[in-house]
Amino acid sequence: MSSLKEYFHTDWAAMTTNDWIGLTMTVVAFLLMIVVYFYALRPKNRDKLEKNRFIPMDDDAIDSGDKNGG
Amino acid sequence: MDAAAEQEYNFDVVRWFTVMATVYLVVGALVGVIIAAELAWPIVNLDIPYITFGRLRPLHTNAVIFAFGGCALMATSYYSVQRTCGVRLWSDKLAWFVFWGWNLIIVSAVVTLPLGLTSAKEYAELEWPIDLGIAVVWLAYSFNFIMTLATRKSSHIYVSNWFFLGMMVMITYLHVVNSLAIPVDLFKSYSLFSGVQDAMVQWWWGHNAVGFYLTAGFLGIMYYFVPKQAGRPVYSYRLSVIHFWALMFGYVWLGAHHLQYTALPDWTGSLGAAVSLAMIIPSWGGAVNGMMTLSGAWDKLRTDYVLRFMIMSLAFYAMSTFEGPVMSLKTVNALSHYTDWTVGHVHSGALGWVAMVAIGAIYHLMKHTFHTEMWSQKLINAHFWTATIGAVIYVVAMWVSGIMQGLMWRAYDEYGTLAYTFAESVEAMHPYYAMRTVGGAIFLLGAVLMLVNVLMTVMKAAGEGSLQQARTAAASA
Repeated sequence: MSSLKEYFHTDWAAMTTNDWIGLTMTVVAFLLMIVVYFYALRPKNRDKLEKNRFIPMDDDAIDSGDKNGG
Repeated sequence: MDAAAEQEYNFDVVRWFTVMATVYLVVGALVGVIIAAELAWPIVNLDIPYITFGRLRPLHTNAVIFAFGGCALMATSYYSVQRTCGVRLWSDKLAWFVFWGWNLIIVSAVVTLPLGLTSAKEYAELEWPIDLGIAVVWLAYSFNFIMTLATRKSSHIYVSNWFFLGMMVMITYLHVVNSLAIPVDLFKSYSLFSGVQDAMVQWWWGHNAVGFYLTAGFLGIMYYFVPKQAGRPVYSYRLSVIHFWALMFGYVWLGAHHLQYTALPDWTGSLGAAVSLAMIIPSWGGAVNGMMTLSGAWDKLRTDYVLRFMIMSLAFYAMSTFEGPVMSLKTVNALSHYTDWTVGHVHSGALGWVAMVAIGAIYHLMKHTFHTEMWSQKLINAHFWTATIGAVIYVVAMWVSGIMQGLMWRAYDEYGTLAYTFAESVEAMHPYYAMRTVGGAIFLLGAVLMLVNVLMTVMKAAGEGSLQQARTAAASA
């Protein structure tokens, strides 16, 4: 446990501006990924997303206006 | 329907990019075989400075990545964006500017690299005037694509376009930052970065050229052309959404895994390795998504040779996106880095994934933009087997060679002295270098068969008047 504590020890006072920018970007990217996974895998959004599978199948029908019902 | 599309959309520029991609595949693979032979038998360079390994190697990488890969990406993205958005390209003139500009850049590379004019940055060797040209043409390409999306008739932007768009945005950013340099004359410049920062920027570019150009761009191809060729919708759209965003968020962090055990801070390499491992999930999700598109219709692989290329490419994609993260781990990297294993890994991705999915898309485009069947189906089948066997021979040779190299370099005797000299390890590589040349030559043979087939199909279409008929039929429709 003590070695784990040592491993994850961070000297916050020594953090430079670049360190903070990097840390913020990493955390924001991580949170955004959670949002994406939640959005894409939420059962409620299933039909809304999956109907777009057919766009390449329908693309022979040109000049038909909006081809995916939006 | 192809006839109606012929008049509605700009397929002319697509046709030219398609044919040129095939030409550049042969050129790039030929140069690759020559330099592979030079490594096995150095006498092959004939003591002519212009064709030595050091000068032809960047020509090979530029030819296959930017000439073949670039033309394939431009053909497929300009084709699929029109079809999925239901509108013609925003500007025909800009599209032709991109075609001629990109080809002019390729010619510049063919002239300057053998002359030894290089910025010495891997995968970005071209000197600063050409770098500026790349930026202008790439922006024109991207702007035309984005404006086509902006004027689309459909409400949703199909996932293939997201991948193409991600590539365009990130490659602009990567190319501009990595190419920042101080010119000292017309053909010589020095990077704005130095030391460890230069190394970091180099591999931030180097790996993201793989991630956003050779992966995201070609996934754009996969998500449109696999469903079209299979005649079935993609297996899961939700999976494609996760695939896209995970790739966009994750890939930018990987570059430092190329610099394990260097002057870079240790944590950057660890971060690169950790994110590399995390990327297996979306990469395999994407590969499974592509393969499962054939679910319930696997029998098509018996008769559809073009589809074989695409599905085989996904198998190689899955394999190389597992191998890469494993190689990024410090313990594995200690053995694999600086050896031929890396070369084998790169070519399993380049020959197996990038080239095969692009070749499949090119055959699809030939049929649908020239409005005729390919001149020879047998040649497509022969191409599939030569490409597959050639790639496998190449990759296996480099795996064996690389692991042997790594083991020889770090073997030491009971006194702590290195067991082998470097020259002994080079000598041990010779059979595998010869085997690599044979594998590359077989792959090249397939590319030549493809070029013959493509050119004969162009002549067949001209003879049948199929293109003219499509234009006329569309006009009277």
